[in-house]
Formats: sequence, C-alpha cells, structure tokens
Amino acid sequence: MDLDFTPEQQAFRADIRSWVAASLPQDIAHKVHNGLRQSRDDLQRWAKILGAKGWLGYGWPKEFGGPGWDAIERHLFEEECALAGAPRIVPFGPVMVAPVIMAFGSPEQQKKFLPGIASGDVWWSQGYSEPGSGSDLASVKTRAIREGDKYIVNGQKTWTTLGQYGEWIFCLVRTSTEGKPQTGISFLLIDMKSPGVTVRPIVLMDGEPEVNEVFFDNVEVPVANLVGEENKGWTYAKYLLAHERTNIADVNRAKRELERLKRLAQSEGLMDDPRFRDQVALLEVDIVALEMMVLRVLSAQAGGKKALDIAGLLKIKGSEIQQRYTELLMLAGGPFSLPFVWEAMEAGWQGDYIGGPQFAPLAANYFNYRKTTIYGGSNEVQRNIVAQTVLGV
Amino acid sequence: MNFEFSDDEQQLSEAVQRWVERGYGFERRTAIAKAGGFSAEAWGQIAELGLLGLGTSEDDGGMAMGPVAAMLALEALGRGLVLEPVAAVALVAASVLAQAPADVRANWAPRVASGEARVVLAYQERAARYRLQRVDTKAAKSGDAWTLAGTKSLVPIGDQADAFIVSARVSGNADDPAGIALFLVERAADGVKTQGYALQDGSRAAEVTLANAPATLLVAAGPAFAALELAVDTGIAALAAEAVGAMDKLFELTADYLNTRKQFGVPIGTFQALRHRIADMKMQLELARSMSYYATLKLGEAPAVRRRAVAQAKVQLGQSARYLGQQAIQLHGGIGMTDEYIGSHYFKRLTTMEMQFGDTMHHIGEVSARMQETAGVFA
Repeated sequence: MDLDFTPEQQAFRADIRSWVAASLPQDIAHKVHNGLRQSRDDLQRWAKILGAKGWLGYGWPKEFGGPGWDAIERHLFEEECALAGAPRIVPFGPVMVAPVIMAFGSPEQQKKFLPGIASGDVWWSQGYSEPGSGSDLASVKTRAIREGDKYIVNGQKTWTTLGQYGEWIFCLVRTSTEGKPQTGISFLLIDMKSPGVTVRPIVLMDGEPEVNEVFFDNVEVPVANLVGEENKGWTYAKYLLAHERTNIADVNRAKRELERLKRLAQSEGLMDDPRFRDQVALLEVDIVALEMMVLRVLSAQAGGKKALDIAGLLKIKGSEIQQRYTELLMLAGGPFSLPFVWEAMEAGWQGDYIGGPQFAPLAANYFNYRKTTIYGGSNEVQRNIVAQTVLGV
Repeated sequence: MNFEFSDDEQQLSEAVQRWVERGYGFERRTAIAKAGGFSAEAWGQIAELGLLGLGTSEDDGGMAMGPVAAMLALEALGRGLVLEPVAAVALVAASVLAQAPADVRANWAPRVASGEARVVLAYQERAARYRLQRVDTKAAKSGDAWTLAGTKSLVPIGDQADAFIVSARVSGNADDPAGIALFLVERAADGVKTQGYALQDGSRAAEVTLANAPATLLVAAGPAFAALELAVDTGIAALAAEAVGAMDKLFELTADYLNTRKQFGVPIGTFQALRHRIADMKMQLELARSMSYYATLKLGEAPAVRRRAVAQAKVQLGQSARYLGQQAIQLHGGIGMTDEYIGSHYFKRLTTMEMQFGDTMHHIGEVSARMQETAGVFA
C-alpha cells in the first residue's frame, strides 16, 4: 500500500497540466476562480477545445474515439482541469447519454450521435424528472405511443438543467402501463427543435434561470431514436446513474474552493480568528478524508477489482462539502455578502461593487448550492441506497 | 413568571397579522422587491397601524407599549416577510433619539413615530465586520458646528431615509469605543451621497458617503458607545422576533408540503427520515422562540446582563435559522430552490438575518467573552 502515483501517472498529470495551461481561455478561468456567471458561450468554447483534442469524452473507450484512460487517469484529468479553473464539463452529452448509446444504442445511433457529442457541437439535455416524479423516478408519466414508425410524445419534464440551450434531449418516457412502473419505461432521444417541444426556464432563488420545464405536445419522434428495446429504459437509466456518480463527489473542485476560502479569509483578517480558522480546518479534514475515499474507490476501479461498497457515500459527503465551502465563503464575506447586485456577477462589470468584487457572488453561490443535496438523487435517497447495500434489504 | 400576553399586546399582534395576511401577500411583496425593496405606500399603512411609534414614548408622540408588544408586532411582520425596515426605524433609531438633546428629540421623535420622517442607524463600515467599535468615519468640530467624513455601508433604506444616525470618531484609534459619538445627518444635507441597492432578501440598503457633511450631535463620546450598543441590542431582539415569525411560517409551509407531496404513492411525511427532520426543525423553532422571549425580556436589564443575553439569543437564532432554513429547502426538493416558490424567500430572509448585527460565530465570541462561573436563566 502506498499513496504515490506511479512515474507514468505523474508524467500523465504533467502533460495534462501543461496542455490545460496552454488551452484554457483565461477569461473563462477567471470566472470559475471567482464564482462569476458562466455563459453558454463559455461552456461551449471550452467543450469544443476539449472536443478538438479528443478529451471532451474523456471517459470514453478508444473504440469510440475516446482516450481510453483508466479511472486514475480520468481522476487526474478532472483534477488538473478543476485546479486550473476550467468550467465543469456539461455532463448530459459526453458523460451521461454517450455511455448509454455506446452500451445499448444501435450502430446507426452511435454513428449519428456520438461525433456531435465528442466534438462539443451538439448540446444535450436530460429529461428525467417530472413534476410528480422526483425521488420516485420510476413513476414518470410522459407518454410515448407508437404509431407506425414514430412515437407520439405527450407530457412534461422538469428541472432540465440548462435546457434552454438544449438541441437534443434524452428522455425516460412511458410506453406501457402494464406491470411494475419500472417495466413500462423507454429511453428516447428527442430533437428539441421538433414541433410541439416547448422549453420554459425556471428562475432559481439566486436569480439564475438554470433549470427548465420541457413540455411535449404531440411531438413526433422516429422509432429509430429509441435506444435499445422498448420498455427496457429503466435498465439503461440505472446504467446512466452509475455513470453520473463517478465524479459527483467533485473533490477536486472542493480543493480549489478551499484555497479560495483561505485567500478570502486571509484578506478579511479571519485567519487570525481561531473561531473562523477552526471551521476552515475542519473543512480541510473533511476534504482530505473525502479525497482518500475517492482514491480508494478509483484504485479499486482501475485495478479491475470488485467495486468498493463505499461509492454511494461519495455523493453524500461530496455534496455536503460543496455546501459547506459555499457557506463558509459567504460567512467569510460577512456583511458584505449581503448586497445583491445581479450585474456584479458578470465578469468585467464596470459598476460600483459594494465592498469589493470578491463579495458579489458569495451568497448567490451559497443559495445555488443548496441544490447539490437534492439533485442527482437526493441525499435522502442516497442514504436509503447505502442502507440497503449495508443491510441487504 | 408568566408567558401570557396582555389583551393589548394580543390585540396589536392580531391587527398586524390581519394586515400582513390581507395587505402584504406574496404578490405585493414580489412587486415591492422588484421595484427596489421599499414601498412608501406600505410604509404609510404600517404607520397607520401605529407600528412606527412602538419605540417612542407617548410624550414624544409615540405609542410605546413595551418590548413584548414590539416583539409580537415584529413576529407578525416576519411571518409576512415584510421588506420595510420597521424595527430599524421604529425601535433602533428611536432608542438613540430618546437619548438625544431635548430640541433634537422634539424635532425628530414625533415625526419618526408618525411615519413622516424615516431615520435609520448608519454604523456599518468596510473594515469593521461585526465590531461596533471599529469606526473610521471622522467627526470634526469647527466652532459649534460638526461635520462628518467617511462611508457607511448597508444602511437600511439608505436612499429612502430622511436622516441617518451615524457613529463617528471624535478621538482615539480606529478601535477605541470611548472616542465614538453619535450624530444625526440629514440625507438632503451638503456632502451626503447615497448609492442604493437590494440585499439578498429583497430589502433595500445603501452606501452612504459623507464628505464633510454637516451633523448634529446626538450622544457625546463616552455615553455614545453604550447608546450604540443599546440600539444594536434592541435591533437584535427585534430581529430575533422577526426571525421567529419567518421560521414559524416556513415551518408550517414545510409541514404542509410533507403532508401533501406524494412519492411512491404516499405522502412523503410518512417517511421516518423526514419525520425526524421535521421534529428537529420543530426543536430549532421552539428553542429560537424561547431565546427570542429571553432577549426581549432582558432588554431592560443593566448593559452587561443585557448584552450577554442578547448575544446568547443571537447564537440560538442563527443556528436555528440556518438549520430550519436549509432543511426546509431540502425537504421541498427542487421546488424549494425556485424563485417563484415563497419558501426560498423565507430561506434568503433567514440567511440575511443571521448575518445582520453579527453572525453566529461573532456572537459565540461575545458569549464566550462574557462567560461566568454559573449559568442559567436565574444564575
């Protein structure tokens, strides 16, 4: 047992680091390092830079044009990107739907969809949750009725992150009401430009239209866009959820934000205040423990060993840590976290900052990150899963 | 001992609740927030209810009914997330005006009580964080006339106020409480500039810049710092009451949601993990309510006793507000995250209140510095 990366892994990291340093636009990194608003263009620009290098699908195997990295290499790539201030990769295309298409899609679907995902040209959205189906995802009601060579889709999805930019959406739809709810679900790829698709942004409490409702009114979808078999969608969804989990702890970003917290605390004189400083120290311990847990999981994965039964814990702890650092950043800002100046979260804004530009996004970020224990399967659901694994029932 | 309210107090509380329910619904509040966070019309209605005289004696034209009545009124305003800073004007500013020279008092106190004049405390500075004694604004005297120079931050309705009560340094280093005096500066005076903005909870505040602005002495250096502490403690007690009102309502919303939202074919309130959570929220709510009473009942005590009690209350309030607010959002799931749902506005209000007049960590420090060998309500 040892903690060191191999010389090959260290060389790999160094290569990634120098490439990211040379390739990541500085204006984008500035926004990420300072918690400022990222535009569609920022996210898209970085996606295309990665796409051109062949790294947007950084978890993809070689046969589909990916780099074929193992779990440790993927982690090192994520870490180098995060520390450099790269935006998070919008996961819906390259991280979520692509693995499903690779595993269960037809060769035609793979040929049609994967290149646009790999290059960053096509923006994908996720159509899972519905107003009545959150934690109880298997109860989805959006209906797809087959008529000849197409499905007619009616219903509503919600919480579709950045769906206002979406060009394609992968959806769980109900194709049968027979038997258990899980057995009547299909996995459908829908062109969001189809007649009958309406996207309505939902403004979150930080003032940002980050998620959307997506309505389907007699939308025609070619049967060729059904992934795998009809009524087997739940199996594919579970496969996808397993993929969503891998980087959900996001420990790399936590390390970066911890450093930002220390800088802010230092400049506000709080590193001399043992009461505040100790809170930063406790967060640091949490982050080190989470990183060790992540490394144990990755090492088992990369070594082809049996998956560790602690993977379910990563989302719980990771999201709690994300919430804690945004909370401490806001508290470090103190009274100057309180002004809400929407424009001040725009990079390069020339107006009067209240107290200083560093304070502008702190409370908004804190409010926004309350989502992390809700989305991707709420932490209550995660705990049920962990308990089920532990207890066997 | 008696935790019952008098008939007068009860009537006041009901009158404010009625106004909040009928006259200050979510739609109106949203419109006021969009328009900048302060409504002169709503302010007029609050004045008609008599609330702006709650901290002013009858002799000065007010209707002071004591701290318990004020607490109940603020609790009702908190339930309705009222944006207008009633406590800041009617209680905090009034507590300083009550100590002002007779002529100044006679000029301002009755107009504050009637709603004609909006006077607010301007004490926050960039370098101060939560330390009241940290004052860089300078006061200079020439003959009998004072002028002030400096910048005050986060002044409630700063660009809608008629006058500010300003803490300024007449002597001493930047952290010397004995060198601080309290002045009144009119917003219309020469050298006064304001820059208004919204706070995270939608209420209004401003930066107030004073460039040798003419000022009237309210409380001289020495007693002034004690007056500032009293004003802030009054504000904390009021904030505690408002926070209890907000928590009370948010708790109700959450309990309702657990009983109506169904997943897996049953109301989510049937799940034990969520039942325990709502029990813990109830715990935090009642602890906060208890400490809000405690702060209010200790307001009239000697400064050292009062400060300790108020700091203890603020610690409890901060912890309760954070736990209850965060869990309310969590238990609502996605809907709790949205701007169009009222619950998120309670959460933002509670978050804002935790950081006003000193956050939880600051007040843990205040309590810690005042710990004695014995503790308890009757220690």
